[in-house]
Amino acid sequence: MSGKSFLQKSGPLLLVAPLFLFICLFFIWPLGSVLTQSVSDNAVARLLPETAKVASSWDGQSAPAEGLQAAFVTDLRAATDEQAVGDMVRRLNSAQSGFRTLMSKTLKAVQDKPEGPIDLVALDRKWSQPQYWKAITDALSPTTDRYLLAAVDLMRNDAGEIISQPPKQTINVAIFGRTFWISATVTIFCVLLGYPYALLITVATGWKKQALLAAVLLPLWTSLLVRTAAWFILLQEQGLINSALMDLNIIADPLALIFNRTGVIIAMTHVSLPMMVLPIYSVLLTIPKNLMPAAASLGAHPLRAFVRVLLPLSFGGIAAGSLLVFMSAIGYYITPALIGGAGDQMISSFIAFHAQNSGNWGMASALGIVLLVVTIILYAVYERLATQRERSA
Amino acid sequence: MQVRPIGQPYPATEKGNGVAEFRIRFDGVSKYYGQQCVVDKLRLDIEKGEFVSLLGPSGSGKTTLLMMLAGFETATEGQILVDGYRVNDVPSHKRDMGVVFQNYALFPHMSVGANVAFPLQMRGISKAEIAGRVKTALDMVQLGALSERKPSQLSGGQQQRVALARALVFEPRVVLMDEPLGALDKNLREQMQLDIRALHQRLGLTIVFVTHDQGEALTMSDRIAVFNKGKIEQIGTPRQVYDEPATRFVAEFIGETNLIAGTVEVVEATSVTIRMNGGNIVRVAGTDGLAAGQAVSVSLRPERLSLTQVSGTDASLPGNTISATVTDCVYQGDHLRVQLTGAGDASYIVRLDRRSAEPQRGAQVTAFFSPEDCKVIAS
Amino acid sequence: MPAKTLQWLFGALMAAFLIVPLLVMMPLAFTSSLLLVYPIPSFSFRWFVELFTLPVWQRAIVNSLIIGFGTTALATVLGVLAALGLRRRLPMIGGLIRTLFMLPMVVPAVVLGIGMQILLARIGLANTHLAVIIAHTVVAVPFVIVSVSGSLAGIDRRVELAAASLGAAPQRVFSKVTLPLAMPGILTGAVLAFATSLDEVVLTLFVAGPNQRTLARQMFSTIRDNISPAIAAAAFLFIFGTLLLAAVVLIVRRKKEVATI
Repeated sequence: MSGKSFLQKSGPLLLVAPLFLFICLFFIWPLGSVLTQSVSDNAVARLLPETAKVASSWDGQSAPAEGLQAAFVTDLRAATDEQAVGDMVRRLNSAQSGFRTLMSKTLKAVQDKPEGPIDLVALDRKWSQPQYWKAITDALSPTTDRYLLAAVDLMRNDAGEIISQPPKQTINVAIFGRTFWISATVTIFCVLLGYPYALLITVATGWKKQALLAAVLLPLWTSLLVRTAAWFILLQEQGLINSALMDLNIIADPLALIFNRTGVIIAMTHVSLPMMVLPIYSVLLTIPKNLMPAAASLGAHPLRAFVRVLLPLSFGGIAAGSLLVFMSAIGYYITPALIGGAGDQMISSFIAFHAQNSGNWGMASALGIVLLVVTIILYAVYERLATQRERSA
Repeated sequence: MQVRPIGQPYPATEKGNGVAEFRIRFDGVSKYYGQQCVVDKLRLDIEKGEFVSLLGPSGSGKTTLLMMLAGFETATEGQILVDGYRVNDVPSHKRDMGVVFQNYALFPHMSVGANVAFPLQMRGISKAEIAGRVKTALDMVQLGALSERKPSQLSGGQQQRVALARALVFEPRVVLMDEPLGALDKNLREQMQLDIRALHQRLGLTIVFVTHDQGEALTMSDRIAVFNKGKIEQIGTPRQVYDEPATRFVAEFIGETNLIAGTVEVVEATSVTIRMNGGNIVRVAGTDGLAAGQAVSVSLRPERLSLTQVSGTDASLPGNTISATVTDCVYQGDHLRVQLTGAGDASYIVRLDRRSAEPQRGAQVTAFFSPEDCKVIAS
Repeated sequence: MPAKTLQWLFGALMAAFLIVPLLVMMPLAFTSSLLLVYPIPSFSFRWFVELFTLPVWQRAIVNSLIIGFGTTALATVLGVLAALGLRRRLPMIGGLIRTLFMLPMVVPAVVLGIGMQILLARIGLANTHLAVIIAHTVVAVPFVIVSVSGSLAGIDRRVELAAASLGAAPQRVFSKVTLPLAMPGILTGAVLAFATSLDEVVLTLFVAGPNQRTLARQMFSTIRDNISPAIAAAAFLFIFGTLLLAAVVLIVRRKKEVATI
């Protein structure tokens, strides 16, 4: 068609291609790596290739055959990378306690005798017990669901059934619960404060409207870090809020506002509020101004008119805002990290901790995948609502 | 400016000389969107210097036809010829046609002067010449003083005139207008109708004008093509399409009409006699290949009917008579609008001079009209 | 109290809640005290001096500028091209591709950070400025697309058709009509990309080495470890920098308007 621009002739796909490749390479692939990392388990398999070859010949019940033992010794002799060996021992020990001491003993014996067969059972009687060999053969599989299960406090028992982890080790579900709870609280505060505020912007005129709108937009344009830093300054023990309250003799001792839940919720509500106000405001704008007077003329008390007319019509905005706030809140890292105490850290902090401090990439990735899945589901619902609204508009 | 040949020469037309006398020819042009047919094997010739209106309801294919002529849409089948050359595959920027859009489509980031200069710049005309021609064009539409303004600073009527100047300044071989007056208020629209008509006559422009407003088409055009469902129902002068509608659709779409169903009784040398549903017998001028017993409709324009307060058929009245009862009468400023019910519950609208006496509701009256004032439409 | 007064009281309190935290930071950037507290003993530029002379802060500012401009360039080029490509409806896949491009805004930064660290280490880009620019571009590009798509959608298709009918070949329609009309959106997108990069902390934590510490990253650890008024000064630079950039864009846009008259 001759009316088309040359860019269109050369094909919209050609224009989209660079970003598409970029996003695949640096967005999809990283997320894919997280997924792979969360199910991959090669700490053991990559060091024990010979053992893996003969592992299938063992029935898993009796004491292991000579062949398996010999292959295991061969593999241990070949393993020279100390870090990798350390990873393997850690991995085996987490599946079967007692492996740490057993392996250090065994490794020493292997070092001392670089040639010929070694009688493992003679070295340590544990090698005669099938569960140690079972732990090794189980760990030989390159994929595992143990991280993903552990991310929601589940594990497999010896029979391979999925069971709850012992109560002492359950922590992740509680952290997810805390994350959702904080996010839900923030969302509710945002609705309670944001809806009336959006309504106020809608009815305001002139400079008042401009001022109210500016008060929402200005924080949105301001750096998240700056906003969090601001709350840090306000909430600290000698901060502005405490000193003002003390100067006014309302309180005698400073309130604990920082490094606790109160501070996190205040700061997160402040950060999220614009994301609630703007969708609600945009929906309220589309509602004809004369509906409320119309309801009043039909005999509805203002409150009733609000509940029966305005609220149902603006529900789409509340839903969109709530999803947006909740979705971003569950991924928060900076604000809880700076304002919260140890008991207020959300899932992102733990993911970062597993990855950066303890080097447990499998666990970090598994927790990340759970968070990612929840976020994507919420986003799908949000998109669905948005397209529905677009269609009906 | 020289007229540059466009497109590939079209093999000899039926006239056999390769260059036809018409300026634009649509030769069996169709346009499909998927399965949907928007323009259906359409044929239309437009002569040089002619003002042709494409008139029809929305979705009748008139705008699509214009868009194909401008090169914004491609014809699914058929040929579009300009000055005897096939232009189907000529991109729009090489078609040399001035287009005026309904919303004017002025460049919002350019001044009025820059808008009008744009087509000249695209043709590589020297700066000095551009300045002169822009000034002439803007003076022609009485906007010479506003050339520094941005389009957003102009009123709707002024923007309209800028769009017109921009489409005329490069002396295109055809000017295409897509409902250009649709966004203007009534008074301004009527003024612009006369202005455009005057420009057409003064400059000898060939204009193809798309509109859904029959009044506009009647006012401005040399010929009107009435569109319906992708086809042309009738093409003719304003007088032809109004007085002699070829089809029921044309009769109803252009102006108001009473359409009464009936059967041909007798065909005579210069007229036919028709028995209308309800029993009235009327005589209509013209025979048009009608045969006795044929089912037809009679189109009766409300302003061609006269009323008398006498009931029953009166031999002294000229032409045809219909007895009826007044069911409503409304004073509409410039005329009286009377609604009648006749035999067989047939309903008629009559337009009377505003000075006529207002007939009482329920009064028995006789409506009369001459055989020349109505038209038979085969149905 | 009448309902009307109550209404406005609520509005004023909410506006204060939204704005005051941002305002209280500003004066503290000029405190002479070692502590981030009011009242300010006396006015001083010492923290700005520290920011511009202490090597960690100096380095962080330079890094932020390098990475910020790198991200702006990359995100703007990729985003503008993609927005142009997505302008016309691509049947079916158009919506999918657009959603894909928007996803980085949604995906939790920590999750993306882990993946980026794994990947960038694998392809040998770990601890380079390029790695940080790439990471920032991924999250900045949606802003460019939204902003450019918005301004492209605002262009009346008929204006471009008019240009073609007036004799402009497709390239000239693009350069004379489409591009100028989309320019405000492109500029806005570029500013948003820069601001996103400037503010990014989480991805930076994962992909940046000690030599790529940005201003935001440095602020983050300062607040965490040894809180000092330097962060107020840095925050002041942040806000001031963003305002400056916005002003530049406004002026450029204004100039452009004047020039085309």
